[in-house]
Amino acid sequence: MNIDLTQACPVLRNRTEENDREKGRIPVKCRQRNRFIPVFLIGVAVLSVLSLLYLEIDWLKMASRVGDIGVVFWDLAHLDFSNMDLILSSLVETISIAVLSLLYSLILGIVFGMLAARNVFRIPVLSVVTQSFFTFLRAVPTPVWVLLMLVCLGMGPEAGVAGLCVHTTAFFTKSFAQSFESIPDETIEALEVTGASRLSIFMNAVLPAALSQIVAWAGMRLETNFSECAILGMVGAGGIGYVISNSLQGYDYGAAGVAILLVFLVAYCIERGFVRIKKKFS
Amino acid sequence: MTKRIPLIARDLKQLYTGFLIAAVALFIVCSFLTEFNVMTLIANGDAFWEFITQDFLPPALPKASRIPGVLDSVVVTLALAMSSTTIAAILAFFVSLFGSEKVSPFPRFAKVVRGFATFLRNIPALVWAFILFSSLGIGTGVGFVALCITSFAFMVRAFVETMEDVSQDCVESLQAVGATFPQRVSQAILPSCLSGFLSWYLYCLEVNIRASTIVGMVGGGVGLTLFSYIKSFRYDIALSIILLIAAMVIVVDQITGKLRKELLK
Amino acid sequence: MKPILKFDNVSKHYPNGVHALKDVSFEVREGEFVSVIGPSGSGKSTLLRAINRLIPISGGTVWLDGQAVSALRGRSLRQLRRRVGMIFQNYNLVYSLSVLQNVLHGRLGYMGGVKGIFGLYSEEDKQGGLDLLEELGLADFAYNRASDLSGGQKQRVGIARAIMQGPKLLLCDEPIASLDPSSAKTIMDLLRYMTRRRNIACIVNLHQLDVALKYSTRIIGLSKGEIVFDGPPEQLDDATIERIYGTSRENLMMGGNRDDQTDTADCA
Repeated sequence: MNIDLTQACPVLRNRTEENDREKGRIPVKCRQRNRFIPVFLIGVAVLSVLSLLYLEIDWLKMASRVGDIGVVFWDLAHLDFSNMDLILSSLVETISIAVLSLLYSLILGIVFGMLAARNVFRIPVLSVVTQSFFTFLRAVPTPVWVLLMLVCLGMGPEAGVAGLCVHTTAFFTKSFAQSFESIPDETIEALEVTGASRLSIFMNAVLPAALSQIVAWAGMRLETNFSECAILGMVGAGGIGYVISNSLQGYDYGAAGVAILLVFLVAYCIERGFVRIKKKFS
Repeated sequence: MTKRIPLIARDLKQLYTGFLIAAVALFIVCSFLTEFNVMTLIANGDAFWEFITQDFLPPALPKASRIPGVLDSVVVTLALAMSSTTIAAILAFFVSLFGSEKVSPFPRFAKVVRGFATFLRNIPALVWAFILFSSLGIGTGVGFVALCITSFAFMVRAFVETMEDVSQDCVESLQAVGATFPQRVSQAILPSCLSGFLSWYLYCLEVNIRASTIVGMVGGGVGLTLFSYIKSFRYDIALSIILLIAAMVIVVDQITGKLRKELLK
Repeated sequence: MKPILKFDNVSKHYPNGVHALKDVSFEVREGEFVSVIGPSGSGKSTLLRAINRLIPISGGTVWLDGQAVSALRGRSLRQLRRRVGMIFQNYNLVYSLSVLQNVLHGRLGYMGGVKGIFGLYSEEDKQGGLDLLEELGLADFAYNRASDLSGGQKQRVGIARAIMQGPKLLLCDEPIASLDPSSAKTIMDLLRYMTRRRNIACIVNLHQLDVALKYSTRIIGLSKGEIVFDGPPEQLDDATIERIYGTSRENLMMGGNRDDQTDTADCA
């Protein structure tokens, strides 16, 4: 039976199969497998082990202090509402910074996305230059930009908004350009022959077609922006992050617990709201 | 009154109008609350520009004796991201098996698992770092655990979604065959979702390279190096460190992009 | 012939208040080819899944081979399931594995934990799988990825997987709803051929009335979770059809294919 089968369809033969047959075993696996996956898995495992060794983490010391984590959480759970007005006002400030930076970046992102998309102005140099510039901006993490803005502009929400804007704009530029480019060339051609200008084609065909995606990207980014904004305080800008790091360092765990809980609740609400909207309009 | 002829479907129009109104309202309220004004920013533009051209440019190299230390901090950042993502992915895989009602042998606990992951995920990594830092003390270990927590929570959600998308049907069929839970995992979930899992792993790695720079500010890594140069007003050196970070991130993004293409072939 | 399946006043209501089955009772004997017909949402799919407990029932008893299904847990439930083959509308194959591996999944219920986890099938099982694929005309595809096959071929793999279990009863949940007419005919012919040859009782959920009339030895009509007809196809008159579907026979025959589309969406 074995022999019959291979003779009937010689395609079945390949090396591993023949190996198996010599041992008297029938192979079961696919002929064309993605041989890259095992290589990838082994590579990742080796790199991760090397990384762990390189970090030289003192596991014993960490393990001996695991109990302390429980103590800290216990302390955090003793919520202390005495500083509520300060915590709330800094939370509002954080949310405002996140929203403002999102809105400014939305406008900037559409403008730069228009420049970066290859099918809007059809000037390859322009889109390549815009794209590589924003790739650089995107590669540097947000808190670094905020740090720089703090140095340039001094303390205050301005630095937060400006710093967040850099990264968010860069993110939007890339994703909006992608959305714009996903519009079929035929559509644009059809409008071109009517004699419409490049800008009016963009405003009337490309932008409306990409609008639902833009809304989706904006919703997704609001989540990220809020959590980024919440940690800005920890690198020196104001807002809820400052309250958290300050009260943790001052052993005021009750206040820190309240602030962390609020950060979680707001982030959770944004996530749920976004999931809802997505479900409704998908 | 003449009725205008609508150009787009009503529900979409509602969405866009709602979005626009919300945006304008939020803009006004937030601008008022933070007293943020673009005009002042533009008016200060000259000082801003002067600052950049004089203090930051041209980028300068740190002292030759410091260079090995800087490079070492880059490697620490990379190692931190790599190891924490891998450990988190392994843990997330096992936990996510219990996070979906359709796959888990204990469907009632699926909600609990997902809720736990949501809680961990919605607190930023740096906040975790600070919480751990006050109990475990300073060091790369804290950064490692903090990154593990957030990427674990992120991957649990991503893995559960992948599983429900891809392998719900074949899990049902293996259930009908009489296969045990471990058999279902190894014969249905793993083969059908592996490339999806790995692609999420790569995405998480990209995110963690950036995050480990930041978490590094409280313990080791290139973030700490940058922070110390900014604090000592050596902005020209700080700029070259920023360029180094950007180069590191771009290179990693390129590599993961290539790998992802290979994986999904 | 002895009955192998018996429904005793089985009912099922979902947490959202839907009564999918209301006091359903019937028996299936060896070698029968039973079609369950009814409009979408009449409880066909729930009925089938109650048999191997993919869906737990809320009242009554399902007897399979003299065992009460609802009382079984863990290992004994798995031992019962391996004697019941199942074929799905969406084939439910693992598309990244080879066709042969998918067929051999039918043996998992018989294998020890570790061997099953690593997919170490015995030589007899492998040979049996290859023979079965040849019988179904898929010998050339044994080492292809399951994702490379056409819809009809995928369903044939589904049949092979179910037959691999050596079942006494075969459950088919809308096996041809996602197929074109000619593959649908092949699949129905194969189902009849395979079950007759191996003396397997077969329960098929069908949406197409003409197919049910042509192939089955017995038809069960389901409407809103209740059995409104149970008998040989010859006895199914126009009045009963109207009671099952709530519409006349002519409407069903004309719009049959269009309805399939909506039904597919509902089931998914």
